[in-house]
Amino acid sequence: MSMLLFTGFVVLTVAAYLATRRIFLAYKYPLLNPVFLSTLLIIAALKAGGYTLAEYQPAKEAMTLLLGPATVALALPLYNNRGVLRNHALPVLAGVCAGCLSTIAAALVAGRLLGVAKGVLLSLGPKSVTVPIAVEISRIAGGEPTLTAAFVVATGMIGSILGPVTLSLLRVKNPIARGLALGTISHGQGTAVALLEGETAGAMGGVAMAIAAVFTALIAPYYLPLFLG
Amino acid sequence: MTTRFINIAWQTLLLWLVFRCGSYLVGILHLALPGNVAGMLLMFALLSTGIVKPALIEAGGGFLLKHFAFFFIPISVGLMAFGPLMRQSGLTLLAILTVSAAVGIVITGVFVQSMHARSSR
Repeated sequence: MSMLLFTGFVVLTVAAYLATRRIFLAYKYPLLNPVFLSTLLIIAALKAGGYTLAEYQPAKEAMTLLLGPATVALALPLYNNRGVLRNHALPVLAGVCAGCLSTIAAALVAGRLLGVAKGVLLSLGPKSVTVPIAVEISRIAGGEPTLTAAFVVATGMIGSILGPVTLSLLRVKNPIARGLALGTISHGQGTAVALLEGETAGAMGGVAMAIAAVFTALIAPYYLPLFLG
Repeated sequence: MTTRFINIAWQTLLLWLVFRCGSYLVGILHLALPGNVAGMLLMFALLSTGIVKPALIEAGGGFLLKHFAFFFIPISVGLMAFGPLMRQSGLTLLAILTVSAAVGIVITGVFVQSMHARSSR
């Protein structure tokens, strides 16, 4: 029975992913984000069938086994864009670091003003970083990794929808600046949008996502406590 | 098709080994760094020094990156556990996420564009 359930959950997840990916690729509309849609579908299916998260857990463990090697594979786009990285090293590094510091500060200050609990604040810290790394930063900092994953996905959605519009309103037209901004704040989802704008923006999104991840991981243990009082 | 599958499989194994090495290094060196980031930096070093040629991991790495989004789906399903929190403070959290995302995007975008304009003048 549990083997059947396990297989059923894996099939459900893969099917939801493949279907929503097709929809997204066909329309390229930011709200049709495959992660967002699949998650809604799967939660609805689990609720409808009366299944709990604990029953889904073994399938989840198996399906995320390759997340580690996938993150290591990010070295590939980073390596392929090392030329752009070398030529614009200072603006790239300074811009990404400024973005990381300011978005974390804004989230934690706003969170404290609105009376958000400490555990939730710690989970908000790494919300602009790609999920596998954000989850680790959150765990090390004492946050709730699952909640962080949710914040990361939501931030990816928000940034990929609002980002391009906001940048255009402020007349930020430089593709390096646009790509870096989207990748720094909205990781892979922002990078996907930057790729739609062009190759340079896309490459910069990938670079920003990697630098933001490393930078945030390095500063989180010292930077997050500054806002917790 | 079969060769492609075999390539993806063993290259993924190679990436997994680098991931384990990264996690191991973080453990023995007591770094405040996730094992997967250490693995990514290790792989970047291997590529930069020419020890690993990009072609050696392109099939497996390309496949994993193409479907990068997939891994976040089972993770996001964990949101189910936060139903009460979302009902209670979903709007507050949405406001925090929107404001902080906008702040970061504006700062990075405007900063890089002005720095770039200055350096190319």
